[in-house]
This record gives sequence, C-alpha cells and structure tokens, in this order.
Amino acid sequence: MTGHEPADALTALEAAGFGIHALTEEQHTVLRSLTETELALLIDIKGRLDDVGPEVQAHSDLAGGALF
Amino acid sequence: MTGQRASTGQGASTGQSASTGLRGRLALAAPTLDRAARTLWTAAGPDDLRGRYLRYLTAMHALITASVPLLERAADRCGQLHDACAPLLADYFARHAREERGHDDWLLEDLAAAGGSPEAAKAAVPPPLVVELAGAQYYRIEHRHPVALLGYIAVLEGNAPAPGLADRLAADTGLPAAAFRTLREHAALDTGHLDDLCQLLDALPLTAQQQLETSVCALHTADTLTRLFLQLAADQGGRR
Repeated sequence: MTGHEPADALTALEAAGFGIHALTEEQHTVLRSLTETELALLIDIKGRLDDVGPEVQAHSDLAGGALF
Repeated sequence: MTGQRASTGQGASTGQSASTGLRGRLALAAPTLDRAARTLWTAAGPDDLRGRYLRYLTAMHALITASVPLLERAADRCGQLHDACAPLLADYFARHAREERGHDDWLLEDLAAAGGSPEAAKAAVPPPLVVELAGAQYYRIEHRHPVALLGYIAVLEGNAPAPGLADRLAADTGLPAAAFRTLREHAALDTGHLDDLCQLLDALPLTAQQQLETSVCALHTADTLTRLFLQLAADQGGRR
C-alpha cells in the first residue's frame, strides 16, 4: 500500500468525471490530501456507474439498505 | 504503525478534523453507492422484487453474522496494543457489540415472515462479495490496526435503509410488515450510531497512518458494497 499523495489529485478526479468544480474549498482541501491508494479506489467506484446503466427514476424512499 | 505523529482528531496534513476528512472522501463515493441501492430496490414487478428482497435478506444475514464477532475481536486486539487510541477504541467496540447482538436473528425472522427459509439462509454459501466485505476487516484487525474497522462501520451505518424504505417495500411487494423489521429498526438506529462514530474519530489521538488505514477501509467497503448491491439487483435467482 502506498501512502504517497499523487501529484494533483483534483486533476485526476476531474479527469475521472467527478464534478470537482461544484465542491467547496474545504472539500478541495480534503481531496488534495488523497493518497494514490485512495484515489485509485475512488476512480474504481466511479467506474461502477458504467455497470448501473441509465439513471433509475425511483421513489425517494427507495434508498439505502446497508446493514451492520 | 509506530513513530507516527498523533494528532487528536485532526487530519495531519490538512488541519481538518478526522471526521471531516472521512466524510469528504466518502462524499465522492456516495452518488455511485446511492444509485446502486436504488437499482437494487427498483424491479420490474412485485414477483421480481419479492425474490430480490429474499436474496437481499439472505446476503445481509451472512454479512451481519460477522458484525458482533468483528467488534469483539477488534476490542480484544485493542487490549493487546499499547498506543493512545486503544483504550477508547476498545470501549467503543465493546459497547457497540452489545448494541448489535441478535440483529442477525431479526433477519431470519424477517425471512420467515417473507416466506423464505431461515434454515436455507443459514446453510447457503455466502456471496463472495460478502466474504470480501467482512473478511477484509479480519485482515485489518489482525495485521494492521483495529481502528480501520471504523471505516467499515461508517460506510454501513452511513448507508442505512431510508426511513420510508420498509413501508415502501411492503407496499410494492405485498409482503407483511413483519418481514421488514430489520430495515425499519436500522433506519432509526444507525443515524445516531454514525454521529457517535464521528465524535469518537475526532476524540481519538490518531496518527496520520491510522487515519489512512481508516479511510482506505471505508473506500474499499464503499466499492465492495456497491458491487454487492449491483450483483443482487442483477441476480435473477438462478445462482447461489
């Protein structure tokens, strides 16, 4: 595992399709400190949207479901 | 994990609180995980949704069967460590284990009320993604640091059932209200649990390495849970 910060996490996130410009400066500060491992995981997660398909128009109650 | 600077609840490189750092990271994962959950609960018809709900209950039973043992093991490991976080963490894990005890039995009762077989659910081989979710936590507790388990808990409790999910599914499936106790109870319980977890994160004298272990665990959990929801949504019931 690497704990190194990538050269420019915000640029990498934007290239992966995250809407970085809509975020606050506080959020930017958090994201600038992402390590390479964290960045890779976030980009993997973003890629899962390709498996979801078109946006599901669901009732607002139809959300969540994780259990611990 | 030694020689790291402790920084009570503060991100070592940003000066922000540990919970702000974790929430900021998870905010980027949230839209995908939320969409995966909505996909899970949106089916072509009542028959499809009933079958999907039974498979969901079976998978979730396999997952939360591991919750109390994970918490107890994490508390035990904290007792073996000599760092500043361990006593507070051990208390939190032990208290949380008491609160979570018996919830796997709720799922079996829900299954029975939904027309499923608790015995078949207990005998079923767990989905590999469930094993990945829980199994990764054993690795982190044993070989890294039990603080990482906070990342796992944050994602699961942070994506608890929506308050109206149980009633909505009861209406859409035609199943009795008794089949949705676990969803109903967790929608109420987990909001307070997540607040407790964030308060703990900010009170702990975390090193930068410990914060990283926690956030990587959280993002890994978000990714794996997204995959599990999508697999349950796609499964037509022919696979075990």
